[in-house]
Amino acid sequence: MSISEEDLLKQLSNPGKRASTFSTLVRTYQERIYWHIRKMVLSHEDSNDVLQNTFMKAWNGLDGFRGESQFSTWLYRIATNETLTFLTNKRLRNTNSLDDVEDSLILNLRADTYFNGNEIQLKLQEAILTLPEKQRLVFNMKYFEDITYEEMEKILGTSVGALKASYHHAVKKIEKIFEE
Amino acid sequence: MKTTKIISLDEIGKELPFRVPENYFNDFAAQIDKQTGYRKRTLAFMRPWMYAAAVFVGIVVVGQVFYNTNRQKTMTAENYESYVMAQVDESSLVDYYVNEPAK
Repeated sequence: MSISEEDLLKQLSNPGKRASTFSTLVRTYQERIYWHIRKMVLSHEDSNDVLQNTFMKAWNGLDGFRGESQFSTWLYRIATNETLTFLTNKRLRNTNSLDDVEDSLILNLRADTYFNGNEIQLKLQEAILTLPEKQRLVFNMKYFEDITYEEMEKILGTSVGALKASYHHAVKKIEKIFEE
Repeated sequence: MKTTKIISLDEIGKELPFRVPENYFNDFAAQIDKQTGYRKRTLAFMRPWMYAAAVFVGIVVVGQVFYNTNRQKTMTAENYESYVMAQVDESSLVDYYVNEPAK
């Protein structure tokens, strides 16, 4: 998307152009945001729900977007919060035990029509699920999306130093699981 | 002796083992458009009388163009004859008509 952030803000502030501009933004960012969500919730149907919530929250919150951060950063923040809220609600609905959410995510993944990975990839997803949620986020964002620590700091509100340490530990944990 | 093989993340790779339904992202974007009330402007927004007016204007414009083009061609034909005749002197003309080449 070549439009400057300044022009974007102007168009979003213009009632006559707001919907068309937002439509373009959806098409620009939907895939990246979808995969960001999907890596956390694993199921396509759940990802679709969270993605919808993300964009509708963004649409309804456009008056609050003042351009203090880039639009993509703002959108990522909304998506991250919606994802964590989804997982928390799932945990609250599942009253068996604290671990059951991760177990059910993996069980569903094995049976999921939209999962087409091999055994190693499945094992990697299982390993990632052993990480605490915030660490899982950091790992996914760094490993799969290659987001810089500086950008991650803006999205997650955690310092670069803490993010680096979190990622380093996540890698060590996952590689330990793969020891044969 | 037990050997430990460590598979590094580099060996596992970064390919995601997930896929989406066909046409998912197109459908998703269209769904969001619907929820925000956005409609892409197409010819569908024109009313019947607008179509009729557009057709009428089109006929007038095309008619004018056709008429002017024909008028120019006629004038050009008439002018061309005069032009050619003006290039030839009278004696040459007489020679041409009197001394017609043998067929």
